[in-house]
Amino acid sequence: MKHNKLKISKIVDELMNYFFSKGAFEMNIDVKETPEYYRICFKSRGAKLSREEVKRFDKLLRYGKREEMEEYYWFLAGDSDVDTELSLVGMMTDETKVVYDEENGIEVILYRYKEGVK
Amino acid sequence: MGFIDPEIGTTNSGRYFVMTIYAIVLLIFGLFQSSIEDILKGLYRIIVEPDFLITDYIGVGGIGAAFVNSGLLTLISIYVLYWLNINITGSAISTVWLISGFSFFGKNIFNVWFIIIGVVLYAVYQKDKINKYIYIGLLGTCLAPMVTQIIFGMKGPKIISMPLGIVIGIGAGFILSPLSAYLMRMHQGFNLYNIGFTAGILGTVIVSLFKSYGFLIESRIIWSSGNNRTLSLFLFLMFASMMAIGLILDKGSIMKLKRIYSYPGRLVTDFVLLEGFSVTLVNMGVNGILGVLYIIIIGGDLNGPTIGGIFTIAGFSSFGKHAKNMLPIFIGVYLGSITKIWNINDPSIQLAALFGTTLAPLAGEFGWKIGILAGFLHSSVVLNVSDLHAGFNLYNNGFAGGIVAAVLVPIIEAFRKDETK
Repeated sequence: MKHNKLKISKIVDELMNYFFSKGAFEMNIDVKETPEYYRICFKSRGAKLSREEVKRFDKLLRYGKREEMEEYYWFLAGDSDVDTELSLVGMMTDETKVVYDEENGIEVILYRYKEGVK
Repeated sequence: MGFIDPEIGTTNSGRYFVMTIYAIVLLIFGLFQSSIEDILKGLYRIIVEPDFLITDYIGVGGIGAAFVNSGLLTLISIYVLYWLNINITGSAISTVWLISGFSFFGKNIFNVWFIIIGVVLYAVYQKDKINKYIYIGLLGTCLAPMVTQIIFGMKGPKIISMPLGIVIGIGAGFILSPLSAYLMRMHQGFNLYNIGFTAGILGTVIVSLFKSYGFLIESRIIWSSGNNRTLSLFLFLMFASMMAIGLILDKGSIMKLKRIYSYPGRLVTDFVLLEGFSVTLVNMGVNGILGVLYIIIIGGDLNGPTIGGIFTIAGFSSFGKHAKNMLPIFIGVYLGSITKIWNINDPSIQLAALFGTTLAPLAGEFGWKIGILAGFLHSSVVLNVSDLHAGFNLYNNGFAGGIVAAVLVPIIEAFRKDETK
């Protein structure tokens, strides 16, 4: 698959753009590559999200991998600071976990499996 | 209201069913318009006639043949998506309706395959799955007129023109995938017909080469008129049925339309995923009717190209367009008609307004004033760029829209208020 690592960077860009727009002042990103998958662990503090926004964020990231969409649109992820492409991030990842509490902020874990693994 | 199962809106097979019904409606409407013999003759004329802009298939082969061509290509597109196990979302719906629409002026059951084969060969070359490239393949058929023009329109023996047309068609499809993804960045998703922008750039390069070897293509226009009564009745009924099905599947769809109107519409805004299939159908019906009303109000013609524009609006009403972000574009084109040298009901300007809604996300994101400005600019740019690709790129408005968005977006962003320090 072409541009696999660049796609991981774009996913991270998109998450950073989103949380900056929501007022985040601290972000920690941990990216891990194994023979089977890429894992992105993203922690953010300071973002002001309503319960509705967290629910929506979670829904958008859970669309599930759609390779036909990814192939055509992946360049758009993380490319604009006036609008979000969270649904595209959902279409580029296989598994998602979102944990949020007002005190500790938000933690997002995304898995993107490599070709032929899943 | 028990005759439609509400489950249809929530299952993938149900959505395929609804899409297939509309393809069959196009086919049956065509079969009722002319005799089988006339339809077959019309289809033959549609196939052998060069298809570059503007070639109205109703003018070339008659209403019956044009609708049968559209119905057949729509059915084939749906089957291809089904065969590749693609979920029916806004992206799939917009792709299928775009093909339905352009099957009235440029795409036919013969000329689309070479581009698709090129995209499939690219997938094979990359050792990738074909389904990843299916949207690019189906949308990329906007370059199909290049194939027929070389095969049937080029002077000289067919033994040369036929393989040349096939090779160029396949070659264009082969390089479309990497180009389309890369060029998306130019307009940042504010031009909904991104493949049109890509095909415009590619078509410009290919036609420049042609012209360097003395292969000149004269512009032309085949534009039918006088069918407004029959076609408006058909279109109103079809779009009203979409609204009715959407409301039957989910009575709350009207209220959910408000939520659809809150989206800017920039790529990727998939209304089926975001708000559901039922309200998307209602949005498609509303916008389809708006498109028909626009043509009638300005004294335009309902024919192959304008039906293409209306179907494209309906299709992209599942993928970014709604009344709130489209209307400023219409107003911008209308204001242009007051101050510029052309009339609002000139053929190219009718199409500029309908297809100009490719820039609807600009109005959605930056407000109605920017939308009006985009429509105003687009109506001039679109008239100027078709010469670059000699009408070979059917999505000429996508090409022009990409240029307008690529110019406007960085300027708007440079002068907008900065985020909180």
